[in-house]
Amino acid sequence: MLKVENLMVFYENALAINELSIHVEEGEIVGIIGSNSAGKTTLVNTLSGLLLDTQLKEKRKGGERITIFGRITFLGKDITNLWADERVKMGIVLSRERHPVFVESDVEENLKIAAYITTKKEMKENIAFVYKVFPSLVPLRKRKAGFLSGGEQQMLAIGMSLMAKPRLLLLDEPLLGLSPTIQVKLIESIVQIRKDANVTILICEQFARPVLPIIDKGYVLENGMLTLEGTGKELYNNPEIKAAYFGV
Amino acid sequence: MLVAAGLNLLIKKRDMAKENYRKERIDRCIKARSDDIYAISSKNEILYLLFPRVIPIAALGIIALISPLYWQKVIISACIFAMLAVSWDFLSSCGMLSLGQALFFGIGSYIAGILNHYLNLPFYITIPVATISGGLLSTILLLPVVRLRGIYFAMVTLILPLMLMRGIEATRIFGGNEGITGLSPFPNIWVELIIIITAMWVTLFALRRFISSDYGLIFVSIRDNDRATMASGINIYAFKAQALFIGSCICAFCGAFMTHSYMFTGIPVFTMEFSILPIAASAIGGIGSLAGPLLGAFVLVPLSEILREFGTLRVVFYGLVLVICVVALPEGIFHYLSRKYNEMERWVKIE
Repeated sequence: MLKVENLMVFYENALAINELSIHVEEGEIVGIIGSNSAGKTTLVNTLSGLLLDTQLKEKRKGGERITIFGRITFLGKDITNLWADERVKMGIVLSRERHPVFVESDVEENLKIAAYITTKKEMKENIAFVYKVFPSLVPLRKRKAGFLSGGEQQMLAIGMSLMAKPRLLLLDEPLLGLSPTIQVKLIESIVQIRKDANVTILICEQFARPVLPIIDKGYVLENGMLTLEGTGKELYNNPEIKAAYFGV
Repeated sequence: MLVAAGLNLLIKKRDMAKENYRKERIDRCIKARSDDIYAISSKNEILYLLFPRVIPIAALGIIALISPLYWQKVIISACIFAMLAVSWDFLSSCGMLSLGQALFFGIGSYIAGILNHYLNLPFYITIPVATISGGLLSTILLLPVVRLRGIYFAMVTLILPLMLMRGIEATRIFGGNEGITGLSPFPNIWVELIIIITAMWVTLFALRRFISSDYGLIFVSIRDNDRATMASGINIYAFKAQALFIGSCICAFCGAFMTHSYMFTGIPVFTMEFSILPIAASAIGGIGSLAGPLLGAFVLVPLSEILREFGTLRVVFYGLVLVICVVALPEGIFHYLSRKYNEMERWVKIE
């Protein structure tokens, strides 16, 4: 479904992603595991096309020069130079890190804003689906998003990305800053999304322990380089991963 | 034939860039070794550092020497606007967005005019007195609003000069509408030129040094994140007031100088031009560098003089140049030049 070949991203002279090749099959949950500064966020920004926008802005400002090499193919189509909005229409939707929501609007309004590219009928179905996946959002429907807790905001952010009818959902650090109980809840919801909405999911995360059991395939990044790849089970039992990410 | 070959090479180069070459930026060695504090180790490096500082000073001095009287007056006016722009940039790097350089300018101008007219003091007393007391007065006037941020502070500074202007017009104090005329001039144009050019360079280099010192760091941090600065135990309002005093002193000096240069002070000193042109100069010169606004003023003021012969169309062309500058070089002329001076670029192959 998604194929990344020899992706290299430079921020000025610093190499953020080095010769990365990954592929994601339809219906899978794929995990990208890496510590801070491994290049996870850069990878999802490249996949969603946001990096092209940053590149242009930096160029106009005369700031950092961002260079991207390699090829990204989605459903057999080359999307390397496609802008973010086109990619959303093709079905690649990103839920960015630190749960960005529109703080001045209430929960339902947030979902409606995110449903801009779908029809009204689809929007109603999608809202119902989001409430089904995240039941705890239902009593908060009319509350301002800024007054939600971190976990609720994260649910809302994922819900917003579901409103655009994704075929490939990119989740950037969905567990960041959440308590372990909410992390478990969220992971269950992610599995449910895959099952009910038939969405392929790519999770970038540094908390490997809750993520690894649910993924079909995982890649481990270190300083922008692919160091390990395998199924979730293989990675879970790998002693190096245990030492580095489980803190045992 | 040659053109075709050149074109071919160009296309090839672009193809190369596309395939597996990328443009690399490298700081020149002296900058790479130390970003701010220079460790000089050879004559070349001394020249490298001196060049961008000495050349503008020398060039301006020579141009001022050989120009006819009319253009010498233009240089004086450019210097005044440059100082206003530097002061605007200084205030903005302390987190205070000012739309009222005219306030500081006008207060300095009126104090110098009053001292000269009613007390018959010579210019070498009125200018320093007007500088300090003008700065103090402006700071006291704006002291209640240093707690405001961003656009609210800007609004107050925009309104105050207009209020003073109408106040003087209505109460007819200090000459009312006609202003104070017949003030004592400078002995000759050379004294004028030396004073203003020296003052401008001293202001620029002193402020640049000041803002990179530990003390100036507090001002920059107030702009970046005032709450974090407060949380570090710093009384930001006291520091903002100090920054305001420094910025307004510079403007008050300009006002006092212009009063003696034109032998006149009146309500035109509070007009919007003195507030807006410094901002335009900063925008095209490059905000945040202090030298950029100065460069911008030296582009805009002579440009506006050259365009004078177009009559009413002058404003149209002037605006057009501004738009082109801002769109083509959003970072500002100074940032662009300094980047070109400090960095080398080359194509490198991706292995």
